[in-house]
Amino acid sequence: MLAVSPLRNTSKDESKGEMESFIINSEEFPDFTDGNLLESIDFDDLFLGIDVEGDVLPDLEMDPEILAELPAVSGGEESDMNTSVEKTDEDDNPKKEEENRVSSSNKENEEIVSQREEPKVVKTPSKDGYKGRKSSTKAKNNNNQGTRKIKVDWTPELHRRFVQAVEQLGVDKAVPSRILEIMGIDCLTRHNIASHLQKYRSHRKHLLAREAEAASWIHRRQIYGGATPVSGGAKRDMNPWIPPTIGFPPMASSASPMHHQNHHFRPLHVWGHPTMDRSLMHLWPKHLAPHTPSPPPRPAWGPPPPADPSFWHHHRVPNGQTPGTPCFPPPLTAAPTRFGAIPVPGIPPHHAMYKADAGIGTIAGQLGHHPLIDFHPSRESIDAAIGDVLSKPWLPLPIGLKPPSTDGVLVELQRKGVPQIPPSCA
Amino acid sequence: MGDSSTSYIHMVQHLIEKCLIFNMTKEECMEALSKHANIKPVITSTVWNELEKENKEFFEAYAQSQSKQDRMSEEETSQMIQKMISDSSNKDPSE
Repeated sequence: MLAVSPLRNTSKDESKGEMESFIINSEEFPDFTDGNLLESIDFDDLFLGIDVEGDVLPDLEMDPEILAELPAVSGGEESDMNTSVEKTDEDDNPKKEEENRVSSSNKENEEIVSQREEPKVVKTPSKDGYKGRKSSTKAKNNNNQGTRKIKVDWTPELHRRFVQAVEQLGVDKAVPSRILEIMGIDCLTRHNIASHLQKYRSHRKHLLAREAEAASWIHRRQIYGGATPVSGGAKRDMNPWIPPTIGFPPMASSASPMHHQNHHFRPLHVWGHPTMDRSLMHLWPKHLAPHTPSPPPRPAWGPPPPADPSFWHHHRVPNGQTPGTPCFPPPLTAAPTRFGAIPVPGIPPHHAMYKADAGIGTIAGQLGHHPLIDFHPSRESIDAAIGDVLSKPWLPLPIGLKPPSTDGVLVELQRKGVPQIPPSCA
Repeated sequence: MGDSSTSYIHMVQHLIEKCLIFNMTKEECMEALSKHANIKPVITSTVWNELEKENKEFFEAYAQSQSKQDRMSEEETSQMIQKMISDSSNKDPSE
């Protein structure tokens, strides 16, 4: 009986299926301390239908056949299986396709043999091996030598595992040899991984650069919008004719799909419209004048909007959503009514506000035509933005970042000596 | 009890996001919130950190875009803007 722990790789969820088979197998495997098992194994049969990609251990019905076929091979199987079990063994059995590993599995076998005592090496699960095998052959069926340089087919599954391994190590720290270890796919050479890694990294940089650029681009735009409290309305105003795909979707979700869809950025850039400048331009006049859908680059601001509650109301109703604010739709539905009453709650002189808007809008207009002028916000605009938040807490979050856990924050604050928030003394 | 903390944290998050739109750094944000909204810098800093944990990718990209910025022009543009604002409005529009 093998003192084999059925859970070889508990850490990897992919191996869960394998674990089952491990458990099943362990009972059925005769003891195999024989180092020459390999010789008795008919590898051709073993390798049939094995798919290196397969993380799942399908075909449990195979077991009887397997068992029947290889009474003596269990040892060999185990070594193969151990090796071929995907991502299971970090310690001694990187997953290897049995085809490739016939030669190397001898070594493995020895290792395994010596490790028999240790529960963590799963020697038995031939089923596993088979399952793993089955999956592996599908992917790379032809390679019996293993380490020969083959053209690697980076299937989505393989790539996923690659990404997992890279992320585990940290993109910058990810070294091909380590990645190879983690992936545990012997079919891949270090060279394969290295070149794939290179591509992946440059791809990521490209993505992040774009995202960052898009983000700062949008933020630049928003600065104008956010410069005055009224701009909140402006932003919303633009929504009716611009699909609310704008805003800053959480980076996490946008990062991955973006690599093949540049136009994802488009909405970010353009507020859903090809010409950002124009859309932005008529943003400002928006709140200054009754909304005009035509996007002429109007440097001259229309007559200040009559501060008409219905105007605000109207424009704010449909959108509940400032771009990129997935978090708080509910308050928005209530917002319109409030907006009606509060065109400029904290800003007594409408005209002053409009002028400020006009000023900022003009600036924005001018700057808007320049790509990404980087500048530091003025004190007034910061103050205005902050004031906006304080006075209108129901406004949706401009970026809509995932909120931190309250407990986490409270604990941290307490560690730093802030017993409660809001603090009783500011 | 927890609710008021949560809403306070939410408010701070909102303020921080506004600052992010302005591309401010964490320190700038702490200063601005302290000055304009009377929020203790330690609170701003803590909420910022927690936000960063929850939104790692965003902040990574944010940091990258920040480092790309030419900080040299910051002052110039800041002055330019301030001038423009004061020219247009002739007064502080804030409440």
